[in-house]
Amino acid sequence: MSRRLWAAAAVIVAVVVLSASAASAKTVGSCILDEIAAAEFEGIEGEGFTAAKNLKTLAAAGDEHAEELKVALGDDLEGCFDAPNPIIPEVKEIVWGGLAFVVLLALMYWKLFPVVKNLMDQRTQRIQDAIDDADRQRAEAAEVKANYEAELADAKAEAARIVDEAREQAGAVRADLQARAEADIADMRERAAADVEASKRQAIADLQSEVSDIALGAAEAVLGRSLEDPEMQRQLVDDYIASVGAGQD
Amino acid sequence: MAERSVSYADAVAAVARAEGNLDAVSDELFRVARALEGSDELRMTLSDRQVPAARRQQIVEDLLGGQALETTTAVVSMIVAAGRSSDLIGIAREAVEINARDRGRSVAEVRTAVALTGDQAERLSAALSAATGHQVDIKVVVDPSIMGGVVATIGDEVIDGSVRHRLSQLRDTF
Repeated sequence: MSRRLWAAAAVIVAVVVLSASAASAKTVGSCILDEIAAAEFEGIEGEGFTAAKNLKTLAAAGDEHAEELKVALGDDLEGCFDAPNPIIPEVKEIVWGGLAFVVLLALMYWKLFPVVKNLMDQRTQRIQDAIDDADRQRAEAAEVKANYEAELADAKAEAARIVDEAREQAGAVRADLQARAEADIADMRERAAADVEASKRQAIADLQSEVSDIALGAAEAVLGRSLEDPEMQRQLVDDYIASVGAGQD
Repeated sequence: MAERSVSYADAVAAVARAEGNLDAVSDELFRVARALEGSDELRMTLSDRQVPAARRQQIVEDLLGGQALETTTAVVSMIVAAGRSSDLIGIAREAVEINARDRGRSVAEVRTAVALTGDQAERLSAALSAATGHQVDIKVVVDPSIMGGVVATIGDEVIDGSVRHRLSQLRDTF
């Protein structure tokens, strides 16, 4: 962090120095104006620019003295067209630039660096918070994953339990149905046997009844003929009287 | 027995006692009742309220006149005229009971397929008296439907020795 700060300060210092050196160098125009203002034209009226203007007029008129002064001024002005040293500034520029640098550096150290440091610290804190938040979210994700896996395991266990219960219930239902079916079959067999037995008894009873009807019919026919006999009737009455007398009915 | 029949029987017995012939009247009344029981046409005619009472009484007098006591004819005529022909059997039975009670005896209604001889009737009466422990008078009803033997009814007790009963028992046994 400090290296970056120092690098930035060096860049700023270089820019300040260059700009200071550039600001301290004379322009061509100002150099010409300064040379003209400082020039002395012997034998020419006026001073400065007025003298230069009069010199130009005399030279144009063919005055040789004026022509020589004009040539000399031209030679002096040639120096304005010479460029200053682009690498090494003048001492005063170095001094002023150094002072500006120190002032600027102090200002930066006093105002800018804390702000930058504060911003950097905040950024570092944000990044750290983001990292911590990412770690926390990762931990939460891991916890959620663990919970999910636990719930999944529970769900699987529950599903297995339900399947087992369903299987047991199905087995119980199957056994119950089988038992009921067997009971129904046994009941049906028993009823069928009872029906057969009842039909058998009814058939036997019907047969016995029919046989008894036939036998009784035959007996009544024979008896009817016998009862036509007065002696038989008398005997029946006597038997009755005898039975009543003996205490029997 | 219906209370009305008992009342009529009491009235008949009172009249017969007054005439001094309760025994004969009750016997004849019993015979008339059995005759009526055996003839649906006669029973329906005497019970028909569309037939004038005088006409019904005339029928009774024609049937019984000269063959029964005047008292018997009169009480039967009175019962028929009162429209109580259907109660005549019950009245006759109760009159017989009253007569027997007056003489300290019981009455047995005896049904036979053929008529009893006098000897059989006496022996049967004696046997029933011995069986019940008191003197019993018998009133014989010839009923061929019993086929043979005897059915004796003394009050609520029935002693059934008929051939029809024996056959019924035999049928039940089968």
